Amino acid sequence: MKLTRRNFLAWAGLGAVGAVACEGFGIRHGELDIQSSVRLPEDLVRGNDNWYASLCRTCPSCEGIVIRVMEGRAKMIQGNPFYPTNQGKIHARCESGLQALYHPDRISSPMRRTGPRESAEFSAISWQPNAMDALRTALQERGRSSVMITEPLRGHMALLVDRFSTAIGAEHLGFEAIDNNTYRAAVNNVFGQDSMPDFDLDNAAFILSFGADFLSTWVSPTRYLRGYGEFRQGDNRDRGMFYQIDSRFSMTAAAADKWLPVRPGWEGHLAMSLAQVIIEENLAAPGVNVDSLTGGDAQALNNFRPETIAPMAGLTAEMTGGDPVKFLKNLARSFAASRPSIAIGGGSAGASSNGLFNLEAIYALNFLVGSVGEEGGVKFNPGSPWDDVPSTSKVGGLEDWARITEQIRSGETKLLLLHGTDPIHGLPDSLQLRDAIIQADDLMVISFSPFLDDTSALADLILPDRVSLEDWGDDITEPGPGYQMIGFQQPVVNPLGDLDPLSFPDVLLTVAQELGKESQLPWANFKNMLREGSDALFELNRGSIEASSAEEFWNNLLKRGGWWDEQSTGPKSVQAPAGLLKTIAGKASSPDFSGIGMDADSFYLVPFSHNTLLDGYNGHLPWLQAAPDPLSTVTWQTWVELNDKTAEQLDVKEGDILRIESSKDSIRAVVYPTPAAPPDVISVPFGQGRQYGSDYATDRPAKESSNVMDILETTRVKDTGSLAWAGTRVRVSKTGESVSISKLEGDVRAVEIGLTPAEDIIKTIAPENA
Amino acid sequence: MMPSRKMLPLMVAGGVVTVIMGFVLVVLLISWFSNPPFGLGNAPPQPIAFPHTVHVAENNIQCEFCHRNVTKGEAATVPAVETCLFCHKDIDGGTVTAQAEIEKVRTAFETDTPINWERVHRLPDHVRFIHEAHIRYFTDDDIPIKYGINGEVLADTPDVALTCTICHGDVGNKTVVKPKTGQSLKMGTCLDCHKDNNVPTDCTVCHK
Repeated sequence: MKLTRRNFLAWAGLGAVGAVACEGFGIRHGELDIQSSVRLPEDLVRGNDNWYASLCRTCPSCEGIVIRVMEGRAKMIQGNPFYPTNQGKIHARCESGLQALYHPDRISSPMRRTGPRESAEFSAISWQPNAMDALRTALQERGRSSVMITEPLRGHMALLVDRFSTAIGAEHLGFEAIDNNTYRAAVNNVFGQDSMPDFDLDNAAFILSFGADFLSTWVSPTRYLRGYGEFRQGDNRDRGMFYQIDSRFSMTAAAADKWLPVRPGWEGHLAMSLAQVIIEENLAAPGVNVDSLTGGDAQALNNFRPETIAPMAGLTAEMTGGDPVKFLKNLARSFAASRPSIAIGGGSAGASSNGLFNLEAIYALNFLVGSVGEEGGVKFNPGSPWDDVPSTSKVGGLEDWARITEQIRSGETKLLLLHGTDPIHGLPDSLQLRDAIIQADDLMVISFSPFLDDTSALADLILPDRVSLEDWGDDITEPGPGYQMIGFQQPVVNPLGDLDPLSFPDVLLTVAQELGKESQLPWANFKNMLREGSDALFELNRGSIEASSAEEFWNNLLKRGGWWDEQSTGPKSVQAPAGLLKTIAGKASSPDFSGIGMDADSFYLVPFSHNTLLDGYNGHLPWLQAAPDPLSTVTWQTWVELNDKTAEQLDVKEGDILRIESSKDSIRAVVYPTPAAPPDVISVPFGQGRQYGSDYATDRPAKESSNVMDILETTRVKDTGSLAWAGTRVRVSKTGESVSISKLEGDVRAVEIGLTPAEDIIKTIAPENA
Repeated sequence: MMPSRKMLPLMVAGGVVTVIMGFVLVVLLISWFSNPPFGLGNAPPQPIAFPHTVHVAENNIQCEFCHRNVTKGEAATVPAVETCLFCHKDIDGGTVTAQAEIEKVRTAFETDTPINWERVHRLPDHVRFIHEAHIRYFTDDDIPIKYGINGEVLADTPDVALTCTICHGDVGNKTVVKPKTGQSLKMGTCLDCHKDNNVPTDCTVCHK
């Protein structure tokens, strides 16, 4: 055959295909390796799996898990069937604990910064003597002007960190981007309780929820999902009725019998309106002292009549299927009559400037329907079984972070210690914490993170912590199931050979002893501290663990994954403060939307917690990036939900890039039009837009992965100082750019038509008609 | 000579068919030879030269001393490095070569480095072979007549070591481990043996 250009290309192509085929079907190098481990632990039967009980740490609810371990390697995470709060079920987030363990981007050894602070250039150093010496010296020289920022801590870790901070003279604050401080304050003001309550959804007949996405991300979703399952389909009971009042169509709203879109920040007024109807029509539960609730002033709630509130809250006949006033009155009647009924509030309802008023008004409804402390209602949790061990997390609010930023800027804070948090990603950009850290002349930042993130990228020293499957821990569950319970976390595997992390609490204890602080922190390691706690539980001689010796108790405790005592419950009933409704009515105020104002061309911005990434701290875990949002099915990207008609007016379609601009800054996001978005609201998930660290969190361009926190106004919730993250209005504009949206849902959208009884099924619409 | 324009589609079609046929042939060949029926691909290089002859034939160490799980579960398992050190903490080896190999084991233990052995016997991923069940069957005195992998009648009830040889050959007398010469480990072989021994042949007995 003559060698022509055509023949040459043909044969080259064939050769390439052949090579690929042969290589593709070959056995990869290392595929047939059988690794023999080095040690032979006595409890390890090779080839058989072991299951260890522990705790999940990918979200603050700390669910009980069991981990399958084969020959020293963790293989699978499932729910601990004995654990009272999640009862064998887990959130998808828990399963990704394995990815944190085997993550290719884990920091393998201590690192010291080598370049300018914002360069994120580090070089590896050894623990002994370099890293520990640097830590000790920093604490000696700067401890008195230091701040320790950790994830919200409970149990012995909280005790240890508090004592350590006191010993070195540091201020300790917990950090949560979307904190529950307003919810805690409302629970305290209405029910007089420090701990978050439990909701007995299993036995409720009517759930009225305001803003709380409790089936997806709010507080303890796995526990609530179990209760919700019973509520809807439990044996020997009627199917419960569920209304969600929310300015966004969340997963919880999608599960409700009726979703009522409310104008953001007006949830409390609606709750007071329902209370007004219940009182006026004498619908309160038998035995409820209405006079005491209103402070003897029956007119106190007159300003909240449905006729006044319905238009203020943005209710229209389209939303309510008829007269909104009649709808509100009927809702109040159903809620009061379908006992046991329960009112829940949280999420965006507590995240506007009047968030505390909103939540207090919502929770006060429970007194009117007699569900406080009762079956099917709000149940309260007891405190810690240990006198000195905290059972609730201490978390800073926006006011605290503004103060600390100022302290860094002024040079008052000279040492920042970070564990389990990424405040630069989790705080509004306009707070300028990042700039303050970069510009501070004499600031040292030490991070104990096993992964690089936006804040640890600015650290002078990174001391990698172990991940939860490699470390000890405990948790006083919050919210508990209505009785005392404690979960225990044990190391189920050792770190892989190429990693050299050290347990954060062990490092603190070691350095405390080197600094001569044994009197405050006498334990040699964290395991000993936990063992002491276990011995104290054994001495109580009550609860779920039976044992004849402290040693046996410790073993059984770890085997079971925790200790609980169903007899040791919280208060069975709580007296409402006199004149509660009148007091709440006196606090009523409109939500504050300062910034760009209420112009007709602006929208309410209602951000929401990402189903798996939450506030973004899980952004480095690819399973959680790839887990589709339950409603939009979008993965990996930052999307903006806006109404179909709004999209039409803006002349944008799915996949187009929209610029979202507040008075502070602007971001870009991928358009996801949906008929379920209120026309004057746009919603963007928290969680994406990380700048530093693992590629899984950072490798998308800004138009596909942005942090909605960057554009939030720094409005605060009145009386709690928390960030009012649902208190921003924005303008949107087309960018002309477009990307392929990364979603599981097909091109043919599924929407519910239900116009006639015959159409009350899900139908698909061809794209051209959608 | 350049092909005429009429011949071009035919040539393209011929090329496509050739590629597809070649692809199919490659798949078939690889799937056949990946479980070597003729002794192909045996004796892969191991990170440490481990002579079964010295350990089994000369020093009478039982199979299950090292392959601890073989009578207990699905996988026979390779020993932890620490198991080697039970003896080789003190035993240095009689030759320079042996000493060097033993030193590799000690170094692995001291530096906390696992040893990656190369698999010699392999069944496809969709097959579940449970060592424990096979050893329990063959060592059961109450079963009067048993047949080996190639249909041969086993005269007496074998012990564990002899049972291993039914499929693996006389490993104890091999310096370098390789599959039993000429022994097929294909599905037909398994089925024949199960039929000979009158044990279940349902799909799910072996297939996951």
